[in-house]
Amino acid sequence: MKYSSLWIVLQRMRLPFTVIVISYVIAMIGFLIIPGVDDAGKEYFLTIFDAFYFVTYTATTIGFGETPYTFTHDQRIWASISIYLTVISWFYGIGSLVSLLQDKLFLSEIAMARFQNSVNNIKEDFVILLGYNDTTSEITKKLLDSNMRVVVVEIDQARANYLMLEGFTPHVPVLVKDAHNAEALELAGIKSIHCRGIVSLFETNILNLRVTLASKILNPHVKVVVRSSTDNDTGNLLDAGADIVENPFNIIAYQLQMALYGSSLFKLKNWLYKIDALDGKSFSIPSENIIICGYGRLGETLYKMFIKNNISPTVIEHNRVIFNRAKKDGVEKLINGNAEDKFTLKEAKIDEAKLIFVGTNNDTTNLSIVSTVKKLNKDTVIIARENELSDFSIFSHAKIDHIFLPSKILIHKTVNALINPLSDTLIRMIARKDEQWGSELLSNLIKNIGVDPVTFELNINKNEAEQIYNHIKQNNTLKLFELRRSRRDRNQHNNIIPLLIIRKDKEILLPSFDEAIELEDKILFACDDNGKEDLEYISNNMYEFHYIIHGEENRYFTNIIKNKFKGDKK
Amino acid sequence: MNLDKVLAGFFIIFAMTLNFGFWYGDPSAVHMHSKYELFAAIVVNLIATVLKLGDKSQVGSVLIATSLVADLQLIAAASIWTISGYNEPMDTETFGIIISLSGGALLANITSVVIYVGDTLKSKR
Repeated sequence: MKYSSLWIVLQRMRLPFTVIVISYVIAMIGFLIIPGVDDAGKEYFLTIFDAFYFVTYTATTIGFGETPYTFTHDQRIWASISIYLTVISWFYGIGSLVSLLQDKLFLSEIAMARFQNSVNNIKEDFVILLGYNDTTSEITKKLLDSNMRVVVVEIDQARANYLMLEGFTPHVPVLVKDAHNAEALELAGIKSIHCRGIVSLFETNILNLRVTLASKILNPHVKVVVRSSTDNDTGNLLDAGADIVENPFNIIAYQLQMALYGSSLFKLKNWLYKIDALDGKSFSIPSENIIICGYGRLGETLYKMFIKNNISPTVIEHNRVIFNRAKKDGVEKLINGNAEDKFTLKEAKIDEAKLIFVGTNNDTTNLSIVSTVKKLNKDTVIIARENELSDFSIFSHAKIDHIFLPSKILIHKTVNALINPLSDTLIRMIARKDEQWGSELLSNLIKNIGVDPVTFELNINKNEAEQIYNHIKQNNTLKLFELRRSRRDRNQHNNIIPLLIIRKDKEILLPSFDEAIELEDKILFACDDNGKEDLEYISNNMYEFHYIIHGEENRYFTNIIKNKFKGDKK
Repeated sequence: MNLDKVLAGFFIIFAMTLNFGFWYGDPSAVHMHSKYELFAAIVVNLIATVLKLGDKSQVGSVLIATSLVADLQLIAAASIWTISGYNEPMDTETFGIIISLSGGALLANITSVVIYVGDTLKSKR
């Protein structure tokens, strides 16, 4: 179907072409038959070419004049007839062509052909994003920054136009099609060997599930990253084969749970999600007098998390139906009212509350609740949920103690999953640790590197760490402390802390510097920019690696010459 | 009786016959090759090409290809005739070129007809 747009043109133009040819022929034959009179008065017949020439500039209404000699009366009669005949058929042909080119179906065919061409021309790793909104727009920017190409499928033409206006470099092809349709995924290149992942962050879980199923059938090697909002859906999605299931509400609940036990794990997680630096503000969660505003998906998840930790928060819910559901769930301290109301808040004992969580899915409501709370109790710790992602945020100026953005969490988790899979694994492993472990790691990181370390993942394979790979392949041992050496002076060391090693059969958390590196290891480092640069050089550059290991410059070429001379001498 | 097929077959075979009519005869004798027949051959070939357009199948594509070849050769022959033979009488060499071009077009037309007939015979309806 590659040239289908061309075929449509040809098919629709058959009749117009035929009409033009026939009208030309009739006119030409007339001119060939009717004799003319030349300037000497003799009779002559136009040649075929003369007839063709005259008819051509008559049909296209150019009208040079009567050639080769002035026409006789008979010739002029025929000329008049042929004008009406040929001009009308010519306009009919042009008109058909123009209306064809403006045909919506035709234009969409061309757009699809152009899209397919762009996707086929991508010879690097790429990711398919479904839907274009603020969240996926940020994901696109971050992926493009990390040298990962992006292909977008969006159902709405207006949003697709907005994406084209952004003018991303390198080019981001966009297809306007409903992602429900498995053909859309195929056109987007899911079967290509370069496709590394597909991201479906729709609000409706049914669509995410459908995408997961279709993707796994079309190409099981593609990583499927989907969003989920309930535990039930998460289960379904994992059963369908999804690789990463992101439930932003669960993530927020886990974050708060971590904050319950101590701030270090919370800060580490924030740092890994790139939400905040290691010295970010933290807060402690009290064990009582907590209010949750809104029992939606987020409120419910939070409530269940608090109950699990033996805390019973008060829940305020405005909507009658949800209120009944909360009652059925067994919420003890439940108030049916609008949290923006002073009266409702007073009923919830706002003056005693130590922490209030404002988590409805409407930003205006949240801001209004926040301002009311501040008037009633200045000391309450306020945590708010911000739904929309925008450059200028009222929330950040509202002096709220902590803001959760589900969109931002989705962005970072998706980007992590696609580009830094080890960071994702580390986050999961941290969740099971205790506060003491966390504070040790935290102080270690801050002391040795800084408040905002960079993470760097290194795969020990031929592609990414050629020198290390070759070195180990030749039966040499290489320990982690070698990688810590500075390129400037191998007796100095860079600010690097290895966080995680993943091998085929095990995972080593916080490996010691004595650990020996093996082939196909995946190592996650925390370092500063200088350390990262040195690591990249050492792993791949022959001369740097040699210096690090042997402490002297690589005399590769002089050695060759030396050996040659040695041989000659002998 | 399929009107579509009748029309298509008519023009394809007509194109071939006119082409043959023009080409047949001693290449050095100008009077044996009528330029009006060349004109008619070009016109009918064009119509036959247009009728073949829009067919995406393999057979259709090959038919279009042969038609385009025939069109090209015949139009080239007509152009040479026009350019060189406009006012002064033509020499035998130029005329030889015209005849050989039309001969080539004839082969393309024959191929076209053979494929067309073959396809029709193959279909079991």
